[in-house]
Amino acid sequence: MSPMTIEERLALNKYDVDTEAHIRLNENICQECQPRICLYICPAECFKLRDGRLSFAYEGCLECGSCHVCCDKGAIDWSYPRGGFGVAFEYG
Amino acid sequence: MNIIVCIKQILDPEMPPVKFKIDAQAKKVIAPEGIPLVISPFDEQAVEAALRIKDAQEAKVTAITMGGQSAKDAVKHVLAMGVDEGIVLSDEAFNGSDSFSTAYVLSQAIQKAGEYDLILCGRQAADWDAGQVGSIVAEELGIPVVTLARKVDATGGTVRVERVIPDGHEVVEAPLPAVVTVSSELGQARLPTGRGIVMAARKSIPVWSAQDIGCDVSRVGAGAARSEVVALTLPIHERKGEIVSGETGAQAAVNLALKLRENRII
Amino acid sequence: MSDKFDAIVVGAGPAGCATACKLARAGLEVLVVERGKFPGAKNMTGGVIYGPVLDSLFPGAPGDIPVERAIGRHVICLLSDRSSVSLDFNMAGSGDRNGYTVLRSRFDRWLANKVEEAGGIVAAGLRADDLLWQGQRVVGITAGGDEFRADAVIAADGVNSTMATKAGLRVNLSPENVNQGVKEVIGLPREAIEERFGLTSDSGAAIHFLGFCTRGVHGGGFLYTNKESLSLGVVVQLKALMESNLKSVDLLESFKEHPTVREYIRGGTTVEYSAHLVPAGGLRMVPRLFTDGLLVAGDAAALVLATGRALEGINFAVASGIAAAETVLKAKERNDFSKESLSVYEKLLADSFVLQDLKTFREAPRFLENQRLYQTYPELACKLAEEVFRVDGKPKKKLWQLARQEMKGRVSIWQLLRDGLSARSSL
Repeated sequence: MSPMTIEERLALNKYDVDTEAHIRLNENICQECQPRICLYICPAECFKLRDGRLSFAYEGCLECGSCHVCCDKGAIDWSYPRGGFGVAFEYG
Repeated sequence: MNIIVCIKQILDPEMPPVKFKIDAQAKKVIAPEGIPLVISPFDEQAVEAALRIKDAQEAKVTAITMGGQSAKDAVKHVLAMGVDEGIVLSDEAFNGSDSFSTAYVLSQAIQKAGEYDLILCGRQAADWDAGQVGSIVAEELGIPVVTLARKVDATGGTVRVERVIPDGHEVVEAPLPAVVTVSSELGQARLPTGRGIVMAARKSIPVWSAQDIGCDVSRVGAGAARSEVVALTLPIHERKGEIVSGETGAQAAVNLALKLRENRII
Repeated sequence: MSDKFDAIVVGAGPAGCATACKLARAGLEVLVVERGKFPGAKNMTGGVIYGPVLDSLFPGAPGDIPVERAIGRHVICLLSDRSSVSLDFNMAGSGDRNGYTVLRSRFDRWLANKVEEAGGIVAAGLRADDLLWQGQRVVGITAGGDEFRADAVIAADGVNSTMATKAGLRVNLSPENVNQGVKEVIGLPREAIEERFGLTSDSGAAIHFLGFCTRGVHGGGFLYTNKESLSLGVVVQLKALMESNLKSVDLLESFKEHPTVREYIRGGTTVEYSAHLVPAGGLRMVPRLFTDGLLVAGDAAALVLATGRALEGINFAVASGIAAAETVLKAKERNDFSKESLSVYEKLLADSFVLQDLKTFREAPRFLENQRLYQTYPELACKLAEEVFRVDGKPKKKLWQLARQEMKGRVSIWQLLRDGLSARSSL
């Protein structure tokens, strides 16, 4: 089986994307943060570094909670998506 | 005012494209087991149109759907949005029904459900996109139909509809009872409330069979179908994305313009 | 409509559904609130329910329960970068079975249906946002902007339990106490699975991996057979993952490319990718299990057994859910939902395998911190096996000599003995 990109992986899943993000970052804290563990820890790679700025793309979130557990800077305002939104596993 | 909304469950249009499978031989769509059906978005907007009328005046909204095991989920969803009653029409005899027989079954059920002033349908189901059922229901019941509504007002025995046309809209009035089919321009359907979801979850939903609604079984099911699927194929989509960048926003725009010209798009 | 229920269960997973099923069968008015658009939509596990726990709720299990395969073969497989050594316990041919593989999206939906059949109300697509308080007592929840009241609330809302945290029963999770699991479901024809794993039509295999699958990071890999798919994944301790600067998805990719695993999944197509956290801190991370008007069950209470081989969670969830229901029924008899009255819950759990197993293996999480388990020993086992089985025309050595030779530079005898003794006392 050939390796897959994270985009290919997430494209296999069914999402009902809400109009609002369920996870928000405190950009001031993230700006200063090193080593930005969220970049490695998120299994959906929702955290992206673009032009030196950290952003969170909530659409592909697998709702595991790892970022919330690992961020010790208190930069992540974390919640699950609203009822009925987010990932819906077909197999699980 | 008694409003009836006809809703249909379809394959989830938001499901990953790779999960969409067909049996080309049998000319049938294979629904993935783990991805539940959803209400056709146009039908959800028809429900929204009904609820907007109910917001403004005394009205009772009843949703009717024809389907199998999971049809109750569709009814539960609209009950949670604020619909008062839901009815499921389910019978093996209905299997394979086309637009004509579906409309016949719906009209039989509508008549059994009691008095009706306004019947709302989605402009078309977002799976086969035939867009016929609403009009045929009107034909079956012998009442007027107005299609492609973006706004529906019903007062004093008349329905006033803003109807979408290619370059804007026209206003059409019809005497009640009437059928109106609702278009996406109506706007976003409301989300269920917490209380609505719980109320819907406790509600029992009646299931009516062909016999219950006095169906002439020779007019329903695959045998009665007047339309035939000649071929079923999966479209091939090729999507490529490219991010055009530049030192500044203006430079990026120039690069984009160059790219478009290169490809003879502008 | 009255918005007061006898009990509100937050979360329609195995713990919540077990509670709700039992309460509804006893005639109580139960509301289950589930944030997924359908029960099971958010739920993911490696994929095995161990033991006979379902029988107590559903006599004659599996019956119509949508299980995938009944486990007839357990394998522990140690991986080096290119080879593997396995311990293979195979009873597939004997007809004996223990546990089932399941796909949670389907399994949990079925469970929730059973709750509804018993008269419980399952409200899916509704996220519980907060607890309702009356003084020090939990009297309900808020969800979707509305309030719902109950004599008892059961927090069965999973590893990230918002409810237990808001109740102040537990603090936020810490990276040394939770593992991150990533999983692929890989579609493969039924015949290929049965042939490849030596299975009959209803039996399944559960394979647990240690070593190269996590490239030395504290954790392991798993491969479970479903009817027409495989569940393949990697589970790693969050703290170790943070320190490794590796991504779990990259571990999963290299695990898939391992020569042993590659052959198992050959010709398959990935149909889903998922991730989830698993409580793995054992007894030390189990929070306070109840307070006035509130009980915590399943993953929300960290009731998961980690022994290094596998993580047992669903059976603990179901058993704790049943105990929570029994507690609520007793409290209902007394019409007393205070924490004194609900303390029966802890007694029930202490009398069952739930807390007994966690106590027996209370030292296991500490033992599992040992880095050698994830690299040195799997490599050593593979190397030693290679030396034992390779015939290369040179004079042979005795086993102990080979072992000494391979241990050199990897681990000292004293370390090996110490780890052995530590394993004896903690596993």
